[in-house]
Amino acid sequence: MSYEMIAIFMFATMMAMLLTGQRVFGAIGFVAVIAALVLWGDRGGYDLAFSSAMKLMKWYPLLTLPMFIFMGYVLSESKIADDLYKMFHVWMGGLRGGLAIGTIGLMVLISAMNGLSVAGMAIGATIALPELLKRNYDKRMVTGVIQAGSSLGILVPPSVVLVLYAMIARQPVGQLWLAGIVPGLMMAALFILYIVVRCHFNPSLGPALSEEERAMPRAEKLALLRAGLLPVVIFATMMVPFVNGWTSLVESSAIGAITAFVAAVLKGRMTREVFENSVRMTLGISCMFMWIILAALAFGAVFDGLGAVNAIKDLFTDRLDLDPWVVLILMQLSFIIMGTFLDDTAMLVIVAPLYVPLVKALGFDLIWYGVLYTITTQIAYMTPPFGYNLFLMRAMAPPEITLKDIYGSILPFVLVMVFALSLVILFPQIALWLPNYVYGN
Amino acid sequence: QSTIKWRMQTYAGSALAEHVVKPAVDMFNKIAGDRMQIELFYADQLVPTGELFRAMQRGTIDAVQSDDDSMASPTDVTVFGGYFPFASRYSLDVPVLFNQYGLNEIWDEEYSKVGVKHISAGAWDPCHFATKDPINSLADLKGKRIFTFPTAGRFLTQFGVVPVTLPWEDIEVAMQTGELDGVAWSGITEDYTVGWADVTNYFLTNNISGAWAGSFFANMDRWNELPEDLQTLFRVCCDQSHYYRQWWYWGGEASLRVDGTKMELTTIPDEEWATVEAAAQTFWDEIAAESETKAKVVAIIKKYNADMQKAGRPYRYG
Amino acid sequence: MSAMHKFIKVVDAINYRIGRVTMYGIFVMMAILLWSSISKTFFDPSLWTLEMAQFAMVAYYILGGPYSIQMGTNVRMDLLYGEWSTRRKAAVDIVTVLFLIFYLVVLLWGGIDSTMYSFQYGGERSPTAWRPYLWPIKVIMCTGITLMLLQALSELAKDILRLRGEEIPHVV
Ligand code: NA
Ligand code: NA
Repeated sequence: MSYEMIAIFMFATMMAMLLTGQRVFGAIGFVAVIAALVLWGDRGGYDLAFSSAMKLMKWYPLLTLPMFIFMGYVLSESKIADDLYKMFHVWMGGLRGGLAIGTIGLMVLISAMNGLSVAGMAIGATIALPELLKRNYDKRMVTGVIQAGSSLGILVPPSVVLVLYAMIARQPVGQLWLAGIVPGLMMAALFILYIVVRCHFNPSLGPALSEEERAMPRAEKLALLRAGLLPVVIFATMMVPFVNGWTSLVESSAIGAITAFVAAVLKGRMTREVFENSVRMTLGISCMFMWIILAALAFGAVFDGLGAVNAIKDLFTDRLDLDPWVVLILMQLSFIIMGTFLDDTAMLVIVAPLYVPLVKALGFDLIWYGVLYTITTQIAYMTPPFGYNLFLMRAMAPPEITLKDIYGSILPFVLVMVFALSLVILFPQIALWLPNYVYGN
Repeated sequence: QSTIKWRMQTYAGSALAEHVVKPAVDMFNKIAGDRMQIELFYADQLVPTGELFRAMQRGTIDAVQSDDDSMASPTDVTVFGGYFPFASRYSLDVPVLFNQYGLNEIWDEEYSKVGVKHISAGAWDPCHFATKDPINSLADLKGKRIFTFPTAGRFLTQFGVVPVTLPWEDIEVAMQTGELDGVAWSGITEDYTVGWADVTNYFLTNNISGAWAGSFFANMDRWNELPEDLQTLFRVCCDQSHYYRQWWYWGGEASLRVDGTKMELTTIPDEEWATVEAAAQTFWDEIAAESETKAKVVAIIKKYNADMQKAGRPYRYG
Repeated sequence: MSAMHKFIKVVDAINYRIGRVTMYGIFVMMAILLWSSISKTFFDPSLWTLEMAQFAMVAYYILGGPYSIQMGTNVRMDLLYGEWSTRRKAAVDIVTVLFLIFYLVVLLWGGIDSTMYSFQYGGERSPTAWRPYLWPIKVIMCTGITLMLLQALSELAKDILRLRGEEIPHVV
């Protein structure tokens, strides 16, 4: 059997294994070690799985992963974002669809404080969603708002997905994070635009709050603005020392996690239960990520050993003779299709290592591609039938929101995101302007 | 008769490997044709550098290009690979030490003990500092987190340097994520070739060693299985690689100092740098005290440098 | 109580306790990284912090792995799986968990081999200026993988009991 055939066979076997519903890391790891044993069993093929563990140990930016996960849990479990929500509620409620717009604003601020979309989702589903439903907002629209908004968590820095991408693509995390800011804010603006337009033509989707509902002494109203300081403080304690070179990336992530923790303690929200949940779930989710990455690294080493990346490169560029742009668009499409049935972490650690060298060989900018990649992942996160956000939503939303509502709520936002993706593809400066400006090249 | 297939992993990432090993491997594959093909893998690609030696002993990888030091080979000569402080002044010193002063024999004996064939040693570039902030005196070294080789790092700690070891491919990113203040890993040719010149601003013209010593190794069984002519071809291609690096580095070091625009040159005055050279003598004696083999190698290095001193210009100045 | 019940109880109890201790490792990592930034700002940077944080991270996820299986946080692709009955899930898992077990056995095999190596030649040290011995972290890794293997066997036992319609022993 040729190496290409073995590679295709491995991939197909892995897909089949994943469909059985066994834990993702087990499915990937099994295919990797079987292939290694069959190919190089007599020459230490059994070493590859463990040597991936040693490789993972040396991937120091991975240390940010448990830090950001912890930070996200502290923020959502301790509900220190409640005041933030109140702030948007009072200040934006008077507009048509104002609470939905405020929710997007809330999501942007939460995104600036944590690296995953889980925290935004939890805060949105538990704090914002019940309030929005109480005010007669359209349940489909607001479900979509929260899912779309929380996906900003991985595009606005800090972002765990961009850290993982940075390691795979060997690109500087700092530049990638900066590259995510403008597209992230642009996408938030597009979401808001969508809400404004929809509510303008159909005010019943997001009725404005009455005067008395928002009635509050001016001083109190202004005091609420202080809530907006929290994200600024947390973001600043993380990013200012990092951008100035006083602390390294991993140190900054620890400082961010500590700041969030201290903030929760100072606000009196760090109860025993919150502490327990944050610490326990951080272990659970970190282990989930790490074990998948561990298995995927072994899988990747076998793929590398087979020269599979070169084979794919040759197939696209030499044998099929495709234009680089066509290849690029095909890759994004394949991500979205794969995202409909493949777990996103698996997608990140298995597919990205195959695609990134190809993107580089085609002559595209890897920082720019990191942003494209992240937006595409976000879309995949949300598209049925398989999507983290969908499952989380199902788990967290109140019972009157059915699975059908959740699936139905997604479409317009996915279209907005595809539009945003197209803009970044057509105008790379949207992503590249800020990092070029800051790093001056 | 089927094609013999070898897998070889180099310490270098792909940008550098383009010069330090790939031409020789391509040449080997072209000549050997259907008889034998070597597939080349880059830094950390199949196995992490820390596991490289064991993978070769076991046969997961058939051959390796690396220095002894960074792959932590379990031998008594490990510290002398890479940059042994001030052991050599020019890149020609390395092949002379190995071929004419008896290092080949010692290396052969040491590696045979651990099931590895030492094929041949060659020279690379001198070891300079490339940093974000300028270094004009020894005091400027203090507290700097520098990516360097284990033995060089051990030597440099006495000047306040904080040595950091990370996977080679991660260095450029680590400079930008603030994990490092600089590198003491190469000369200026490599700084430009691998992209480090883009993330550092200053190049110190003083070096702590004139040439990196690295080698080609193979799993002993795999090596013995090769027919003699292929063994010879492999040796010839290693020598070709050593030759290529001689002129590539020597020319590059000079022209980039003169014409390079990405890094500003700084120098620590000779009188001050002499304290570092003196410290190296002490360091040699410390190493020699560690074992009989190490003492033997240190004696050879001392004898060689004394000979060069006596030979005078152009071998040694002053 | 059958041997299977006993096995499940013992393994789950051990892994639960280890997991409960390991989860506080997040604060160990934080402390190391915080010290790293403090020492860098006010004194000389420490030699050991980054590597120590890496060791802590590896211990954290390897020793915490079995507890994460108990918590059920290890994602499965539930496109089909999610729709199945408990019995059907158990029946399929009995087969597919063998693949997971096989992976863990190979991982452990490599781990033991690598650990034995670090005891040879006078003790393998990390090739950094700090030069820590590597056997402690490798021993921790092998221990964690072994515990993970036991947890996978315990999951297998639970699925067998489920298929038989017997009660699953509940720990803690
Ligand atoms: Na974020
Ligand atoms: Na999806």
